[in-house]
Amino acid sequence: MSLTDFHRFKELARQENVVFFYTGYFSQSIVTAMGDSLRLRLASLDASQTARRKLFSVFVEMAQNVVHYSSDHLSASSAADHEIRMGSLWVGETDGQFYVVCANPITREGVEHIRAKLEPLRTMTNEEIKARYKEKLRAEGEAGSKGAGLGFLTVARDSSNPIEFDFVEENGSSPFTTFYLKATI
Amino acid sequence: MQNLYIAPTSSTPEVNFQFDRHQLSLRGESYPENAHAFFGPIMQAIQAYLPTLHSTQVTVDVQLAYFNSSSTKVLLELFGLFNDAAVAGNYVTLNWHYIEDDETILEFGQEVADDFTALDFHPCALVE
Repeated sequence: MSLTDFHRFKELARQENVVFFYTGYFSQSIVTAMGDSLRLRLASLDASQTARRKLFSVFVEMAQNVVHYSSDHLSASSAADHEIRMGSLWVGETDGQFYVVCANPITREGVEHIRAKLEPLRTMTNEEIKARYKEKLRAEGEAGSKGAGLGFLTVARDSSNPIEFDFVEENGSSPFTTFYLKATI
Repeated sequence: MQNLYIAPTSSTPEVNFQFDRHQLSLRGESYPENAHAFFGPIMQAIQAYLPTLHSTQVTVDVQLAYFNSSSTKVLLELFGLFNDAAVAGNYVTLNWHYIEDDETILEFGQEVADDFTALDFHPCALVE
């Protein structure tokens, strides 16, 4: 990639009001450092305390989702702590609203599982999402979940618009599909 | 029983449990990678402390500006333990500090109060 291409890359990010972009391995210490950087950017922007907290919340849930569940990992897949996994994350602003987008590779078998969890959240009202969240908070932990099983519900709760998601097939022989999730605060 | 102090980090709160004075506090933010790993020893200390009490006034101050979903679940379990101690004849005051315009934190505090009615719950707004 020539330096002119890097400039196009940077200009595109500027035009699209990308506040923050990271791609690479995610670990807890990287999430924490990204969080610190994001906070500094948010402090200089004109956003309410509630909007900043919701944005930070969506960022943490998405970034920790990569740490726990991305299919491209450096750490052993059975590890429960000190995990390192591959993904990308964008934070930006469109028409006065912040958005967070996260992408990470998943196995093709994982597609339907994730779709089944996310699709219902797109059509639920805020009140229904809150009610579902409260119910899930008090339920027993879910098999296969490393947290509370509340990550996607938290993202949906803190979004002002229905969450968006997609699965994009990689070219070539990659065994993975890229999972994209977008929340607008 | 020995007091418990854990210094804060970017992603974990300050834990200051002065068991000798029956004053316990959690302050800061909570989004560790593994909430069960972080809160496990804290829950164990609380489980060892609470049965030693008899008609005791315990004050719990919680001032968490942000906690992630897995911490939320563990916090609910923690407050359940305090509620059990209150049902068993102790007096547990939960001072719930939240930034005034942060409705999500206040709502969670109110859920704790609704679930655990034996706790003496006090919402305390912090004005920025």
